[in-house]
Amino acid sequence: MIHLYRVNKSYEGIPALREITFSVDKGEFVFLTGPSGAGKTTLLKILFCAERADEGQIIIQGMNTFRLGPSSIPYLRRNMGFVFQDYKLLPHKTVFENIALALKVVGTPYGEIERRALTALKKVGMLNKEHLTPPKLSGGEQQRVAVARSLVNEPQFLLADEPTGNLDPASGQEIFKLFKEINMKGTTVLIATHDWETVRTMQRRIVAMERGRIVSDSRDSQKKPSPAAAVRPGTAS
Amino acid sequence: MRGYGPIFYLLEAYRGLRSNSLVNALALGTICMAMLIVGFSLLVFLNLTTAVRAMGDRLEMSVFLKDGLSPSDRDLLLTRLKSESGVRKAALVTKDQALTQLIRDMKGQEKLFQSLGENPLPDSYELTIDPAYAGDGKMEGIAKRIAGFFGVEDVSYGKQGAEMLGKLLRLVTYGGMFLAVLLGVSVVFIISNSVRLALYSRGQEIELMQWIGATRWFVTAPFLVEGILITTLGASLAVGILAGLFHALPGDAMLFLSGPGGFQFLPTGVIVLMIGGCGLLGLAGGLVSVNKFLD
Repeated sequence: MIHLYRVNKSYEGIPALREITFSVDKGEFVFLTGPSGAGKTTLLKILFCAERADEGQIIIQGMNTFRLGPSSIPYLRRNMGFVFQDYKLLPHKTVFENIALALKVVGTPYGEIERRALTALKKVGMLNKEHLTPPKLSGGEQQRVAVARSLVNEPQFLLADEPTGNLDPASGQEIFKLFKEINMKGTTVLIATHDWETVRTMQRRIVAMERGRIVSDSRDSQKKPSPAAAVRPGTAS
Repeated sequence: MRGYGPIFYLLEAYRGLRSNSLVNALALGTICMAMLIVGFSLLVFLNLTTAVRAMGDRLEMSVFLKDGLSPSDRDLLLTRLKSESGVRKAALVTKDQALTQLIRDMKGQEKLFQSLGENPLPDSYELTIDPAYAGDGKMEGIAKRIAGFFGVEDVSYGKQGAEMLGKLLRLVTYGGMFLAVLLGVSVVFIISNSVRLALYSRGQEIELMQWIGATRWFVTAPFLVEGILITTLGASLAVGILAGLFHALPGDAMLFLSGPGGFQFLPTGVIVLMIGGCGLLGLAGGLVSVNKFLD
């Protein structure tokens, strides 16, 4: 589903990604771990076509992103869901309107919007709060809405960048449980996180990064990554 | 690929206008003022042009004939006068017709002509000249050429009046064009600024829409429609105010302003062009800002 081969990226001469090569199969659940500055967010941004790699090949669902023109990028993104650490919900819109926006953007017929938005909210347990605006929700609830928004267009894979970074441990666990359920329904999930405890307990594939490189991949080594590559809770921003 | 029709984008634009109501009200007011100036200038320009045309239709030249010309010489001269560039019409005025006209013009002083004896006035051809020949010494050129024709005694025309008419027509045309360009650029500037403010105030929403798969058109279209809506609304308001003022003018003032061609309000075609043109300027202003913002 996703293949990266010798991907390099630098900012003003400072390398952010070095020779990144790995692939994610359909239906996989992958954790991308590593300390701050390891390159996790840069890698997700490149997968999401928010940044361009300097070198290398990136194939997503059979499409080489290097060959995609700016007008094709929105159509690629429609097959992906993205969950942000800061939720990126529009504060002046209600929960329902936030979800409906994602449906409008892809041209969903008006008659379908309500049904699909409510179905997505039901999946994340937020059906009773669809009329509230995000500032009236807790962090965990806001992230649930963000997850619902990322899923409402039924993407083939979901990317999440530190989705529990702003949440308390209990809320974080709830969100990870949600991702697990989503994955069980067939969606490929790739999550960048510091939350080593959750990563360890969920027992899924772990790709560890350090200083822009992949230092271990549990699928290859079938071993836990080195402690240096994974940051324990509370040690990184 | 699914998508929405124009009604969706109109509704989105309306929502955008409402969410930035203060900025848009200011832009609307400014555009209305600018279009009031444009409309007023057009009103003056069109009425002045009509007046100048009406005066131009009376741009005449008298070609006095020598005595004793044979009918064939007169016919030959008439043919030459009609083929002269700038001459629209040529009509013979006999000396008797000229005297009758003179007596009529000097009504109340008929006694002056009783002791005249023989009619001293010559036969003449009265020429109507194309208004395009009013300035730049063109009338003088025609007069000089005709004066050299066989059988012509003298040529007379209102030299200063013709030159003045030419200058007035040029001033009105070029002045109007300059004003239109200046105000057109101002409208683009006003719209591009108000759309830019709208873009910045909704920057978070635009960024998010791009992240979740919105095409450039989906993001751009509502802002372009907003630009068109503000400008067409501003121009329509200006036309309405102008029409109100025009019809509220007292009869005496209307009579005072009336030129030879009368004093008319803007024709429907001009109003449609004014509003449509302003809408296009709004689209241009919107495009400038949206492209800058998204690039």
